[in-house]
Amino acid sequence: MENVSTQPSAAGGRYLGQGADIFKLALKTGFLTFITLGIYRFWAKTRVRKFIWSSTELEGTRFEYTGTGLEKFLGFLVAVVILAIYLGIIQMLLFFFGISLFREAQSDAEAIAQSFAGFITVLAVLPVIYFAVYRARRYKLARTRWRSIRFGMENAAWGYAMRALGYGFMSIISLGILMPLATFKLEKYMTDRSWFGDAKFEQHGRWTRLYGAMKHIFIGLGWLLGAAVFAAISATPLAAILGFIGCFWIIIGSVYYNVHSFRYLTANKTLGGEITFKAEPFTSTVVLTYIGGSIAIALLLGTLGAIIAASLAGPAMLAPEAMLDVGLIQFIPLLIYIIVLVVAGAMSLAMIVQPIIRHYVETLAVINTDAFGQIAQRASDEGADAEGFADALDIGGAI
Amino acid sequence: MRGRGRFFDGLTAAQHEVAVTLTEDGLAVKIEGPSLKAPLHWPLGDLRATQDHADPYQMILTRKAETEDESPRDPARLVIDDAEMIAWLKDSRPDLYRADVRSGTGKKILRNTGLALGAVALMLFVILPAMANTLARIIPLEREVAFGKSITGQMERFLGGTEIGDLHCNAPEGVAALQAMTATLTDGEDIGYDLNVLVFDHSMTNAFAAPGGQVVLLRGLLEDAPGPDAVAGVLAHEIAHVVYRDPTRVALRTVGSAGLLSLLIGDVTGGAVMVLLAEQVLNSSYSRDAETQADTYAIDALTRVGVSTDGFAQFFDLIKELQGDISIPEILASHPDTDGRSARSAENAATQSNTRQIITDAQWVALQSICDGRG
Repeated sequence: MENVSTQPSAAGGRYLGQGADIFKLALKTGFLTFITLGIYRFWAKTRVRKFIWSSTELEGTRFEYTGTGLEKFLGFLVAVVILAIYLGIIQMLLFFFGISLFREAQSDAEAIAQSFAGFITVLAVLPVIYFAVYRARRYKLARTRWRSIRFGMENAAWGYAMRALGYGFMSIISLGILMPLATFKLEKYMTDRSWFGDAKFEQHGRWTRLYGAMKHIFIGLGWLLGAAVFAAISATPLAAILGFIGCFWIIIGSVYYNVHSFRYLTANKTLGGEITFKAEPFTSTVVLTYIGGSIAIALLLGTLGAIIAASLAGPAMLAPEAMLDVGLIQFIPLLIYIIVLVVAGAMSLAMIVQPIIRHYVETLAVINTDAFGQIAQRASDEGADAEGFADALDIGGAI
Repeated sequence: MRGRGRFFDGLTAAQHEVAVTLTEDGLAVKIEGPSLKAPLHWPLGDLRATQDHADPYQMILTRKAETEDESPRDPARLVIDDAEMIAWLKDSRPDLYRADVRSGTGKKILRNTGLALGAVALMLFVILPAMANTLARIIPLEREVAFGKSITGQMERFLGGTEIGDLHCNAPEGVAALQAMTATLTDGEDIGYDLNVLVFDHSMTNAFAAPGGQVVLLRGLLEDAPGPDAVAGVLAHEIAHVVYRDPTRVALRTVGSAGLLSLLIGDVTGGAVMVLLAEQVLNSSYSRDAETQADTYAIDALTRVGVSTDGFAQFFDLIKELQGDISIPEILASHPDTDGRSARSAENAATQSNTRQIITDAQWVALQSICDGRG
């Protein structure tokens, strides 16, 4: 390398995917998913990932996603066997004990019992959800390669689920004050078990340093406090305005928290003890991409939906009122709904998801890239359920 | 064919600048470079490119090989940016984008699909119904009643009422006639619940039973019915559901199966249609037996109190007329075939003698105008 000064070698991430390309791919795979009654969705997701991974470039080499639709399908089937039995029984027992949820509470004790029953419902599924979250990240890393070297993550999903429950509980009872603790510890748990080849990732830093990222949430809470004060001295319009500002501020503040905790956590990660990172995404870019994309999608879809609805309204009106079975009449509106959904999904990938990924990738820098040369391959990971639990519980997210 | 490329050997993250040429026999590509210990030979037939690569001007080559990986591929990668070489490979290598699957994959798919379908079927058809039956028996009465009232409340809102009681028809003479009819039908019978029979102000010709002894008739049924005996038949049918605790059982079962089905089918795209149809089929198969049983109960009840089942038969003919030409395949229909139901009642009516009308003509007029006097 020519870089012989004390300055370490560095490289910035580049994202090269085009909006039109990912839109076409998502539309095509969405349509295939529709006509195969949902079965193609595992292949659809895999193909979109292959596109996004191969659009991401570091030091002139693109990433590769090596997962297959088939293994995702097989993993899903395994997850279904387990979840069918677990959820079927849990759901019915909870329904049986929770029937009083449908009645208005007649005493305080009953109100507490009701919220407790609701709490149990969530609690029964929550560990499985956290388990699935870790498994999904492990699968995605195990199927990511760069310069022919595999990423990977250790098998520790139940440990993650238990910690996520514990830290989540602490966040809730502290009214969110301990949220940075949960964010930091859970990210550290996952990072410290992640690998690139034979090089290990490590999360350094301190959880208290994430409070800076929370500042706009606190400011938003301040506005709400002001609203409460004015409401108490019966200045209702003023309280309403302050309340609105407070809520808005908290929503933007949450994005700010995500972006800035990501900055801090990334800047304090190391790979193999010598490679470091720097991330500088902007809250404004993320928020404006969301808003701009959403408005554009709403306008385009509104037009499309109106056209389809107008051309199909005729036959739907002929349905007689006195049918005893209504199942089949619902079919046509459902069809429109699904077409709109496929198009909307493709649009949001092209106009929201991909631009945000682009922003995150292009504001990321890797320092001391010379050290990559020494990193050796790791063994392949059979991928456990290949994200089957996440797919079955529908917690996969956009990609 | 010759060109340059970047090679990653699958062992380290180091990059190798390489020259790519055809071997002399023309059966393989030769990859060689100053940083590679020895030239590599990849047979042309084994060359594979990665799929859905975002850059149309670049190709990532690998080689079909038996490995432990998710796909039978060599972990090494050859990155080619040379347009000519890419074009040559695309033209001359038909298997370039082939997704090779290992032998035994088909068996694996069959096994997993079988297991998943088996587990779901076991839950849907054996475990959930058995649990629902047990739970329906042991559920405390007041809970069941509260639940049933919340269902009729939801139904009321669905039919256009803004709050509970909005659609209740309660002209005093009509209510008295309805009570007389109910009392005649249930006299001396053990219902198991305090029956709560209501009429909702809605033009649909229908009736339903909810958990805990709740029975609702819609105004359209009273208006379109050929006579009081027909209404008595429908009422007896709904009472039968109450006696057999069908609504509670169905509610318990639906909760379990709806969750399971949406789990299985998941994603909204395409899946929603499946969930809808599957639930329709499932609920129908559950309920057709229950409906037949309720019809039997209704016919027995009418016969016991000396009312002709002819009115009940006429009611089914009316339903058939209302349904018109739209015929729902039996597997999708929640109720048995209407012709058969009508014929059963008519057959029974032929064996009856000395029948009487369930309520007087005056009471029937009052019942038909039970919704009068409402805004």
